[in-house]
Parts: sequence; C-alpha cells; structure tokens
Amino acid sequence: MNQRLLHTPEGVRDVYGKEYERKLETENRLHSLIASYGYDDVQTPTFEYFDVFSKEIGTTPSKELYKFFDKEGNTLVLRPDFTPSIARCAAKYFMEETRPIRFSYKGNTFTNTSNLQGKLKEVTQMGVELIGDPSVEADGEMIALVVESLKAAGVKEFQVSIGQVEYFKGLCQEAGLDEETEMDLRACISGKNFFAAQELLQERNVADPYREVLLKVADLFNSMNSLEDAKKLVHNDRSLAAIERLEKLDAVLKLYGVEEHVSYDLGMLSKYNYYTGVIFKAYTYGVGNAVITGGRYNTLLSRFGKDAPAIGFAIVIDDVLEALSRQKSEIPTKTVQAIYYDPTVCGDFEKALREATGLRSQGNNVALLAKGSEEGKDVSK
Amino acid sequence: MMDGKFNDERYLTFALGKGRLANKTLEVLEQIGITCEEMKDKNSRKLIFVNEELKMKFFLAKGPDVPTYVELGSADVGVVGYDTVLEENRNVYEVLDLGFGKCRMCVCGPASARELLLHHERIRVASKYPNIAKDYFYNKKHQTVDIIKLNGSVELGPLVQLSDVIVDIVETGSTLKENGLEVLEEVCPLSARMIVNPVSMQMEKARIRDLVLRIREYLSKQA
Repeated sequence: MNQRLLHTPEGVRDVYGKEYERKLETENRLHSLIASYGYDDVQTPTFEYFDVFSKEIGTTPSKELYKFFDKEGNTLVLRPDFTPSIARCAAKYFMEETRPIRFSYKGNTFTNTSNLQGKLKEVTQMGVELIGDPSVEADGEMIALVVESLKAAGVKEFQVSIGQVEYFKGLCQEAGLDEETEMDLRACISGKNFFAAQELLQERNVADPYREVLLKVADLFNSMNSLEDAKKLVHNDRSLAAIERLEKLDAVLKLYGVEEHVSYDLGMLSKYNYYTGVIFKAYTYGVGNAVITGGRYNTLLSRFGKDAPAIGFAIVIDDVLEALSRQKSEIPTKTVQAIYYDPTVCGDFEKALREATGLRSQGNNVALLAKGSEEGKDVSK
Repeated sequence: MMDGKFNDERYLTFALGKGRLANKTLEVLEQIGITCEEMKDKNSRKLIFVNEELKMKFFLAKGPDVPTYVELGSADVGVVGYDTVLEENRNVYEVLDLGFGKCRMCVCGPASARELLLHHERIRVASKYPNIAKDYFYNKKHQTVDIIKLNGSVELGPLVQLSDVIVDIVETGSTLKENGLEVLEEVCPLSARMIVNPVSMQMEKARIRDLVLRIREYLSKQA
C-alpha cells in the first residue's frame, strides 16, 4: 500500500466517530437557537473572486488566502470567513429591501497560516449577520445571542468583552492624530502593547493631555474600570456618543438577563478599519483565542453598493468543541443498536430486517449485522 | 497539566525563558512574595514546578518557544526577551517591560561595510533573527537584502565572507571588537518582557492585573 496516500496535509484533518457526532450535535443546538431568533439560513460559495476578500473588505491578509485561477485567469479565493460573502449576497439579492434582514450561515473556512504552529487551516464557522438595523436593540440581540449560544453549546465559564471603536476614533480626532499614527496606535493597542504605544506617542509628538488619555486606553491595568470613568476622560461628541451607546446597550442586556457574562473594554480594538461601532469577543478556558468574535460594520455593505448598517458574529465551532473537551463537558451522543442475523439460515435475514425496520421507524438507530462477523463488538464506534 | 486547569481554582501557569532571564524573573517574583521552592533545587529533574499555596505553576522553556506556549494557551504568562517577541511575532499581549536583560539589536560589520548601508545596495545579511532583519531592511531602510539564517556565532558571517553585515544582539560589544567588527546601526533597544495569553487576560483578569501591578510597583521603586 502507498503509505503517502493515507496522510492529510498539515492543518486539515478527518473528523469521524464520536467526535464528529459531538460536532454535529453542537452545530444542531446552535443552529436551532439561532433559528429561534428568526434567522434564515444562507449558503454562499466556498470560493469567490479575490476582490470580495481584498484588503479593503476582508480581515485576512492576502498572503494567508488560498488563491487559485479560473480558466479566464481571474484570481479566486477559498473563503477565509463568511462576512464579506454574506454582505455581497445581501447587496445582490436584497438591494431594495429596507426592513432588517437576518442571515445565518455555517460552513468551512480556509486560511493559509504558517506551518508547525498547531493551528488548523480549515475550520468550521457558524454565524449570524443582522443587516439593515442600526439600533441598540440589534446590538443587544447580537450579544444576547452570543451568550445564549455558548450556554446552548454547554460551555460553562465564559466571558464576553465589549468595546466600542468610536470611543478611540473620537479620541484620535480630538488629539488631531493623522491617519498613519492612528493606524499604528491601533495596532499597538489591539496588541495591548503599552510600551510601543508610549514610544509611538512620544515619537510623533502627540501633545499632553491627549497622550495621557490615549495611553489610558492602551493600558489594560488602568483605573478606567467603568464606563463612568471613561466618560470623564473625553470631551468630544464622538467618544461621548460611544459611551452613551454602551450605556444604552447595558440596559438592553439587563432586559435579556445576560449582564453577568459581560464586561466592557474600551481598549479592545481591531487592527482593521472594518468595525464602526460595538465590537465583542467571547473567551473561555481551554482554547488560546476568542471562540466568538463580532461587531458592527456599518460601511461594509456600501462596498457592494447597498448602503445598510450591519452587525454580526462568527463562532469557531472547532474551538468551541476543543474548549468543551478540555472542560470535560459532556455532549450526549446517540447509541446504535445491533441486530444480528444468520446468513446460513433461510428467512433469518427477513426476520431481522423486519425487526430493524420496526425499530428504525420508532426513531432508533439500528445496524444490521451478519452473525459471527461482528458479534461482541461495539458497533457505535 | 490541562486537567489541573479545571480544579476549583485554576493554576496560573508561567513559561520562563531558560537561563539568566528565568533566574532574574524568579528574583523579581520573590521580591513581590511569589516564590517557588521546588525550583531552587538544582538537582530536580522535574519539568513543571508548582506552588500549591498560590496555585501557580512554572516551567522553563527555550526562549523562542515561550511565545508559542503563551499563544496557544499552555502558559498564561511568559517572560522572554524582546528580541524573541519581535522575531516570533505571535498573537500575545505584551504587558510589562521588566527592565532587566538590557541590550541592543544592531547591524554590525567591518567599518568598511558602513558604506553598503547608505545606497540601497543589495547586500547579504546573516542573522539568527531573519524576521527582525527583514523588517528593518525592508520596512525601515527600504533596502532590498538577501537574508541568511544562522543559528549561532553570527559574527563569523563577515569574517568568512558569508555575508556583508550581520543583525545580532549586542551587549558589551567586546566580541565584535575582538574580531574587528563594530556596530554600524542600531535596530532597537531590547529588554525582558512579560507576555500574556489574550484569553487568560480576560478569564484571569484579577490575578494577572494584581501580578502586573505589584511588579510594576516594585520596578518603579528600584528605578
């Protein structure tokens, strides 16, 4: 046998048996939860034109995209995430729609990350996008859904952090930072790199008191514990509006009864210029990165010609499963019953088949097995 | 180790870069009341050291592996040189400059090579830190260069005509001097950094915050 044929490339893998069953069960639970909030399923292609995921729109660097060509020489890309595809799809088919659109999706995504770092290159994501609703209630629905999703999946301890990128943008405006400095500073702060931020502000001659205030945003361990504190630091309308929005959101989350899982972090920023309002991440023990990420992106759809606000999030199913298994959280799996027949006895198969059909129609999982071959073996494996 | 994480109280796990850095880190930790007696036993063959009282675990790892342990969540906190943080460029939070292990990342070579750095010439650069070297030449100096990765004794590069210059850590500069080399340009200053896994930062906020604030206070008193 050719041993080489048996291997899968680095970063992709087979999922089978109990593990796959658990994965499907988790997906089903999440899917029915999302459906219960009135989200419609959509399926978009696995690969699209490069431009859909380009730098201006997507959040995956070009070198981490799987690219190939069609027969006409167009560059195609295996989707690294769903949001651009859903935005394109909504703009294409719902251009005239003014009522909010609720989409949910599930599928595999592909990123060509470095080798030998223990990261998967193909992961399953499930997520939602709520398009055409700019309200704080929409923000609340998203975050409530994040909390309920993790509960439905059986994750025990988790934390949802909420930021508001407008707070930082307002501050930068107030301080009169140029675009480049703002971008560089955002990269420092999103990496919680206090020293680099400090150095950068010094180097670019940012005046006090702004320097100090911007550093407070960068500093994880500052005294800015509450929205109240954050409010006192700023004097511009944009940042104040951002805080006000979070205060309103907090009230909505209390109505949903999910406030105990939520904390606010105004230093949470994305490296990308993509989010325009709230931004959130959900964390749990057992995995090294956030299991859910999302936020509001009110300008993305206009790239596809539809001027509509939108908010959404994506759950990395594989990470949720890893967290569940590390947390030793049980997911019930189905059992398979075995019915044996003796192929050497005339009519025995017919009898066994009748029995199996009866059990199957009652919702049982039944495997038919010839006697002698499989006896004593657990067929559910 | 993973199993231990889900006891009633979770362990906070530290990955320390082997060698001087780890010793210095343990000294600082001891000053703020965090000790690990198990680690002081030099004959011990244990790989992981535990302080049951404080619910903390410590292990030593090779420098470049520390960001990997922290990024993937096997350690919550890591201490490693800034050179490694830059070179590995992992998704970790960099929360503290510990101030010790100070040195510089420099472009070095014979004095005659100074000329080669002025005119965007294509030159050969040997380094243990290909990513840092590449970032410096491409993004800061806008000079296209060929980078040769070496694993040690980088100073040999210009001596045996393997490369025109090297990018390496300079502490005192005495190795350079003895071999007729000198610092041509400084890339950046270096020192020990404390890095934290982003998830741990959220899930163990109170403990990590307390730890960082105490070290910060101690360091500012020293200064």
